[in-house]
Amino acid sequence: MKELVEYIVKALVDNPDQVVVNEVQGETAAILEVKVAPEDVGKVIGREGRIANAIRNITKAAAAKQDRRVTVEILTDDKPSSGQ
Amino acid sequence: MKKARMKGKSVDEAVESALAVLGAKKEEATIKVICEGKSGMLGVIGGQEAEVEVMVAGELKDDAKQILQEILDHMKFLSMVETNESEDGVKLNIKGEDMGRIIGKEGATLMSLEILLRAMLGRMKNESVRISVDAGEYKDKRKTALERLACDAADEVSKTGIEKALPPMNPADRRIIHMVLKERKDVSTISRGEGRDRRLVINPQ
Repeated sequence: MKELVEYIVKALVDNPDQVVVNEVQGETAAILEVKVAPEDVGKVIGREGRIANAIRNITKAAAAKQDRRVTVEILTDDKPSSGQ
Repeated sequence: MKKARMKGKSVDEAVESALAVLGAKKEEATIKVICEGKSGMLGVIGGQEAEVEVMVAGELKDDAKQILQEILDHMKFLSMVETNESEDGVKLNIKGEDMGRIIGKEGATLMSLEILLRAMLGRMKNESVRISVDAGEYKDKRKTALERLACDAADEVSKTGIEKALPPMNPADRRIIHMVLKERKDVSTISRGEGRDRRLVINPQ
């Protein structure tokens, strides 16, 4: 799942070298924390969180195929943002 | 779309060699800096080479197909993509296994693929692109079903003279219904509500 999120996020930002995706094991699901350059945060979240939600949906679909549960969090100023 | 990834002593130098490989001009390329590079002590020791990825956009149809295929491969879905160009833009149709998962609940995953693909292509081409993503003719079938629902509801409103609200729908679905009922003189349509609760209301005319 990490590679999928990395691939998508890197294609959306101006600074792909600053994209970091970390997998953290949560209670019920794995959490993929996405960190990008400050000026790229808007590109990954999108208007009304549309891009962030699209990334979540696609990751969820790919994870479900492998019977896994994964959530995606985009980090802004070291605080998780749902982008909603 | 053609890509080249090159290293060099500086970003400019790396870009130049990538452009040479692609046979492209700087104006038509999208440049991503993978690594800025550092000059080391005395310009030799401990330095790090700059690395860039240079992309040259091709035909929208080909680029869209390539990127969608790459996303599906990363999702580990065995599938292939067909393209079709029409006056409404480029239509991409996914074929393969796990169609249900690719479509998602009420087409949510398809819609997400479309949103991401549009963002990626828009960035690459510096303009908004007209594309739509379908899987196994899901959208066509959904369109037919929605049109039937709309006509039945409109007939009812016309007969009873009482307005009727349809279930909440996404913008694309509402648009299909607005379009099909636009031609009818006996009813009119508006959308009401916010966000996920937004629904179409049919009024007698």
